[in-house]
Amino acid sequence: MSWASATPPGTQPAYASYAHAATAYTPVPVRQGFGQPYTLQPQYAAYATPTNPPPAPAAPPAEPQQQQQKMDWPDKVRSYVQRSFESKNMLPDVSREEMEAKLKETISHAKDAGIMYTTDWDSMPLPQMLVRTQRAAQLEAQRATQMLASQWQRPRQTRLVLPTITTLKRKSSDLSESDPSTGTPWRSNKKLSLSDRISQPPGLDSKSLKQAEKAENRKQRFNTAEYKTYRSPSPPPPTGPILGTCTNLEKNYLRLTAPPKPSLVRPEHILHQTLDLLKKKWRKENNYNYICDQFKSLRQDLTVQRIKNEFTVSVYEIHARIALEKGDLGEYNQCQTQLRALYASGIKGNAVEFKAYRILYFIHTSNRTALNDAIADLTTADKEERAIKHALEVRSALALGNYHRFFQLYLDVPNMGAYLMDMFVKRERLAALANMCKAYKPDFKLRFITEELAFESDAEAAQFIIDHNGQHLLVEREDSIIFMAGNAKQLFETARADAHRRVDLKGQI
Amino acid sequence: MDSLIKEFKAAYAGQLGNDLAKTLTPDVPNNAAQLMSVWESGNSQSIKDDLKFLFVRDKSARLDMSSDEAGGWQAIYYSYWKALGEILAAEGLRKSRVKTSWTSVYEAWKELTSQIIRGYTNHEFENWTIPCLYVAGKYMRLYAMRADAERGNNGDEMVTNFQDDFDPETEKHKSLEDCARQLNRIFNLCLSDRAPLSESRKWGIYYAINLLFKTYFKLNSAALSKNVLRVLSAGRGDMPDFESFPKSQQVTFKYYEGVLAFLEENYEEAEKHLTLAWLLCHKGATRNMELILTYLIPCHLLTTHTLPSVKLLAPFPKLQTLFLKLATAIKKGDLRGFHQALQEGEDEFVKRRIYLTLERGRDIALRNLLRKVFIAGGFIEGAEGGAQVRRTRIPVAEFAAAIRMSGGQDIDTDEVECLLANMIYKNLMKGYIAHERGFVVLSKNGAFPGTGVLPIRGMRYAESTLRLSFAGWPTSVLWEDGFISAGRG
Repeated sequence: MSWASATPPGTQPAYASYAHAATAYTPVPVRQGFGQPYTLQPQYAAYATPTNPPPAPAAPPAEPQQQQQKMDWPDKVRSYVQRSFESKNMLPDVSREEMEAKLKETISHAKDAGIMYTTDWDSMPLPQMLVRTQRAAQLEAQRATQMLASQWQRPRQTRLVLPTITTLKRKSSDLSESDPSTGTPWRSNKKLSLSDRISQPPGLDSKSLKQAEKAENRKQRFNTAEYKTYRSPSPPPPTGPILGTCTNLEKNYLRLTAPPKPSLVRPEHILHQTLDLLKKKWRKENNYNYICDQFKSLRQDLTVQRIKNEFTVSVYEIHARIALEKGDLGEYNQCQTQLRALYASGIKGNAVEFKAYRILYFIHTSNRTALNDAIADLTTADKEERAIKHALEVRSALALGNYHRFFQLYLDVPNMGAYLMDMFVKRERLAALANMCKAYKPDFKLRFITEELAFESDAEAAQFIIDHNGQHLLVEREDSIIFMAGNAKQLFETARADAHRRVDLKGQI
Repeated sequence: MDSLIKEFKAAYAGQLGNDLAKTLTPDVPNNAAQLMSVWESGNSQSIKDDLKFLFVRDKSARLDMSSDEAGGWQAIYYSYWKALGEILAAEGLRKSRVKTSWTSVYEAWKELTSQIIRGYTNHEFENWTIPCLYVAGKYMRLYAMRADAERGNNGDEMVTNFQDDFDPETEKHKSLEDCARQLNRIFNLCLSDRAPLSESRKWGIYYAINLLFKTYFKLNSAALSKNVLRVLSAGRGDMPDFESFPKSQQVTFKYYEGVLAFLEENYEEAEKHLTLAWLLCHKGATRNMELILTYLIPCHLLTTHTLPSVKLLAPFPKLQTLFLKLATAIKKGDLRGFHQALQEGEDEFVKRRIYLTLERGRDIALRNLLRKVFIAGGFIEGAEGGAQVRRTRIPVAEFAAAIRMSGGQDIDTDEVECLLANMIYKNLMKGYIAHERGFVVLSKNGAFPGTGVLPIRGMRYAESTLRLSFAGWPTSVLWEDGFISAGRG
């Protein structure tokens, strides 16, 4: 992958176009094993993505004009450059491209300002450190703006009234960053200065868009298949987990129909950056189709490289949470199946949180066998955890028909369990109503239903009854509305049976 | 090898299927020396010729067998010999070779199984030889499980499918899943035979099905067994009578059929099958009887509200620890005792997949408790100076007090009403709740159906209304009424 070996003729066209057809660059062999002069040339700043960076940049460039410059460099600058490229100084979270750009900027600034000889290069922080510092500053700024507009409040448009109850009910799933116990990984605002490497969302000014597009095209040319095959003719078919070489952060999901090509698979350190990017994008754009697609390709890359570690766990956890929030049960279930196996093999993660979801999920799908398995997975310590305890109580309340208890549990769900409970709460309301209509005579106040079945207001409770053709059961008497339970007969029983029959099983294995 | 083929010829001449199968049984623990000598009597260069000689040219003991069929048997013994080498190596009995993996044992045995199947499809093997299929299936399953266990979770093999995610189950049970496919082949081989019943391979079908069930349960995909049952019931018309199959196969099949229904919450169906299995089961097979009862007891609890008597459980100490405490709590209407018993046995219950079913016994316990409240309410004067009748208007507060005492924890009135509503909804109690006035109005006739609480003082009840009969069972001996004994006031 290094330029030193990249001398076959086939590389030349690509290289030439990359260098804007500057004829001075064509005598490739001269540069063999040497640095890349253009890293210090301002006009290449925007390209910023040399796939094959030079091993050491300090050697004298072959180009005359460059030589001129070189003469101007004091030795201290040269050793500074050398230090920057030493592998022991590389930082995992700062890419080489970023570092190079920063280095160039630093030196050209020194040159322009005429402080080339006065700067203390020995104590000057290395460019990668500068990048980090800059990121931290950016992070601070970003935090400040985000305080103003948090898009992460759970949309609650279905609940109309009583805002106090609303917040009470959902306090644990509001994902507020201030709550460390429920902190969600994808909210953390770590690395944010990757925007120069990614495609931009629509709505940015056309100029920067064009530039990004150009850069992308250039990269594409560089990565074309012919080019690759030329360099390493007929790679042997992979016999083990492959190691990816792709450095694009984003990748569209495509189902595999043939063994994966390493050139299209991203290695783990790139995937780490991808995850950070996706978290950021999700926060910013909240575009589920995009995010789901990207996460699927991310998972695929992990699978084909057989990466199973805490990073894998966090990828699945984050995707599971996003899918939950968007009600995409299919994806959610795929993630939870993986998570179960990953936790079982001893990899750390938020096992408690997801074991609780798992129980709630199987309650929703009425899968008794799986529910039994989920309980079998619990350790004695697990059963003492609040989230799991809650899920088990929900299960037991439903098993015994204790709707009173069930709806109390519904009002206080840990983590994001409320998204799951929302899915079967309607069904359980119908069951409870069927129950009440058989047991109570002749009537009771509507308010009793509102309270027992955790409606937010009498109006909502009444609406629910009317939606199920029960308007004739509501009678106004004195100042309150009365529910004629004794007259309901089979109305809610039928509705209950219907609702329990229709369990959405998509994604169920 | 010579001796093995001699045994084969003897079994073949007498059409003794079981003896024939014995020549293909690698029973290492009991037969190591003999198996070693069979393995050592051949070598990879000459084994094929040796077999050919034994089957075709050896005039001393010619068999009445077409050359085609003889070819089939040759191939089988060749595969058997090779598999034996792997088995002995995996068991560490072959000094000359390093230990191989159980995966290669499985592969070798699978090859043997394929050869046997081919014998039926291509070489016209007769149906008395099907015990060979049994042996092949039985050991294939065992080797598959050993192969999976040996590989454990460190399956570093190449991802052969193009899945986006790992498939944890597949990785854990790779061999066993493959085994299930092979067993399915055996199943279909038996099923699809169109020969008249007397010569049909259909006689092998329940053995194959039982192996399949076992495998599916182990794979945690019991639901797949449903497909087998569906196919079976579709072809039931051309099948020999179920009763004419060996009893051991009937018991196993009925047991699995019952457990499958149980897992689908079809308790009545489950009870039917399990009862049959129970009745057919050999009295000495304690372990099997224990297994059957493990599911039959929860079934009874839900379908007929009956509990096992001490006598029924006497021979099964394991079941006693499992169920007695729970049964006592239910009978006494002891909510806290029930909760404790359920919690103590939870791990075991969950493991046997009966936890969720037993939990519903709480309803019966609660009902017995409420009934006590009703009885404690005593009688009031009847209308117009008639006989005294039971008090049927009972304040919710009285029930609440009982539930608090029995459950050992506080509970608010709304929740008590909810529990009462449930009792009424499930027909365990008859009557209605008058919410606004805060009491329950119980039915004058049989407020608690099935227990013979009589509405009028001094009335006697008939025995038949009390005991719920259970067809074919000496119910009074084996199953006790789950409801507390009738109060006569």
